Amino acid sequence: MNKKPKVAIFSLTSCEGCQFVLLDLGRRFLDLLKRVELVEFRLVEGEPITTETFDVVFIEGSPITERNLKLLMEVRKKTKILVVLGNCAALGGIHEIKNYKDKEKTIRYIYKHIEGIANPDIKEIDNFVKVDFTIPGCPIDGEDFLKATNLLIKGKIPEIEQKPVCTQCPFWGTEECFLKKKEPCLGPITLAGCQAVCTRGGLFCLGCRGLLKNVKPQGFLKSLEKMKSKKEIEENLEIFGIRDDVEEKIK
Amino acid sequence: MKIAISHIDKIEGHSGFLASIVEGDVKKAVLETQEGARLIEGILIGRRFWEAPLITSRICGICPVVHSLTVIRAIEEIFKIQLPEEITTLRKLLLAAQIIHSHTLHLFFLSLPDFFDIENDLKLVKKYPKETKAALSVRDWATKIVKVIGGRTVHPVSIRVGGFRKLPKKEDLNGLLRDSDKVLEDALILGKLFRSLDYSNFQRKTTYISLSSKTEYAFYQGDLRSSSEGILSKDIFLKRIKEIQRDYSVVKRVKLEGKPYMVGALARINNNHQKLNKEAKKLFNKTFKNPPVFNSFYNIPAQSIEVVHFIEESIILLKKFLRYKVVEKEVDFKVKAGKNYAFSEAPRGTLYHFYEINKDGRIANCNIITPTAQFLANLEEDLKVYLSGILNLSEEEQKRRIRALIRAYDPCITCSTH
Repeated sequence: MNKKPKVAIFSLTSCEGCQFVLLDLGRRFLDLLKRVELVEFRLVEGEPITTETFDVVFIEGSPITERNLKLLMEVRKKTKILVVLGNCAALGGIHEIKNYKDKEKTIRYIYKHIEGIANPDIKEIDNFVKVDFTIPGCPIDGEDFLKATNLLIKGKIPEIEQKPVCTQCPFWGTEECFLKKKEPCLGPITLAGCQAVCTRGGLFCLGCRGLLKNVKPQGFLKSLEKMKSKKEIEENLEIFGIRDDVEEKIK
Repeated sequence: MKIAISHIDKIEGHSGFLASIVEGDVKKAVLETQEGARLIEGILIGRRFWEAPLITSRICGICPVVHSLTVIRAIEEIFKIQLPEEITTLRKLLLAAQIIHSHTLHLFFLSLPDFFDIENDLKLVKKYPKETKAALSVRDWATKIVKVIGGRTVHPVSIRVGGFRKLPKKEDLNGLLRDSDKVLEDALILGKLFRSLDYSNFQRKTTYISLSSKTEYAFYQGDLRSSSEGILSKDIFLKRIKEIQRDYSVVKRVKLEGKPYMVGALARINNNHQKLNKEAKKLFNKTFKNPPVFNSFYNIPAQSIEVVHFIEESIILLKKFLRYKVVEKEVDFKVKAGKNYAFSEAPRGTLYHFYEINKDGRIANCNIITPTAQFLANLEEDLKVYLSGILNLSEEEQKRRIRALIRAYDPCITCSTH
């Protein structure tokens, strides 16, 4: 019999919501765990790590502290496949809003003593280590995770179909297109796979799954400025950390 | 002598523990936060009011509902929005479900293994198939309620200032109601298990703070009650508490007149047990002999009683909502400048959000005080006293018991750092 793949799940600084998506899968998550050797997932076990290498590591959150960074580097060295989970790890997360403000002022608003509190610019994980695969979203989608993981544990990297959220809206029952209502929905430039969960729930897309690979967003974003001010559009792009990606593409 | 636990597993967020003992005297017992600061309040400044529920939801992946609801209620106070009963009913249902699924996760997957000396939940799952099935059934039901009403379990999308972006389908709510009897039975199986566990007889008197109401077991709103002083004015309470930042920590500890206090399931049960629903009250009477109980380990059975209570409450709320003939999803409102706050009961205790909004609808000031920030000083005081009583045990056993007490509190380091 083949040995079960060694899988680990780690979290850096985040809300840990992506890990809860996994636990919320309930029985299906427990069934998946039967097919792997789960060597690290501190929400379900506290046994010391005995393994030196991993086959697949899932990691969520942002590297903010020294400790976060150290863990990230160490894990990269030990794993064959590194998968980032969710918006923080992939795109910076909501705390990337800080990058567009005065960092010093932001921390001083909260803490009197700021010595020793890490306050770096928020950067995506792929700025520090090589990332083999991304499961996007804030939070990730459980089905998306199961589908990808089935392949990942066999050592295969899944293909992601590059299509926008708009392609999922009608199927999943979004009542009316936000853009038709003159609301600045980011659906056309955002990677699908979320089952249009926000738009069908009445919230326009804020791009948490990230930009489509080959999209040229300039014209589209310009058209949104007819609905809202440029400042507001930029602020919308900041919420899930895609303003820097957009600016990179427009450059 | 020092006792150091470098990382506490099976709690939400990252923390270690450090104690120093001099000649048999525990001088210090502290939690050392290892969480990065995301500076949530700082990033909210200048942002548009409608972003606040989306952003604060991301404070915590296990209790996003209560953060969103609390900021929404604070802003609705500022805008002077009056909501119809139907919207409040639906929001209460959402919050009840949030408490059920958070508690069930903590009870079964985080704390229970401590009582069987098992470090790995997967072993626990194998050993207790019936209870695992019950725990998963209760969690599935509660996460489904959040999904049906909120659109998604982690970081719901449908709740907004003024009501809901979208209402749930009645057929989905009917489906949840149909499953509810079975779920209540499962919760009672868990209640029985958690009643029978061998809790340490550790005791330390403290003050319990929670919301309280004459008409119900308060959770969505209510007055503030202290177990030592009775009903407290919220304004006065806010003047009497102080957020203290120790130089080594990104978490501010909160004290009331310089003293630690406890919030959470045990605080609510101690303060409000008279208002528990029928089955929950029966379980309470069997579990809590002479309330108030000053044993923090009893936060665990308190949560399991609350799971039963909030399932019963959800059934009442589901039936109530389904009886409304016409439901409007939201009310119109105008943006107004002003400041105000709201308190809710989060799974882990009383949660406070404060906002000041300017005339453009942007956030000028805010402050968030989480349950864990409030009970952390109490937990550390408990740890100090508890450790003094177990110094004769082996270091390994001491560490095991320290971890168990920390987990009994169900701390959320993620929330408390934010």
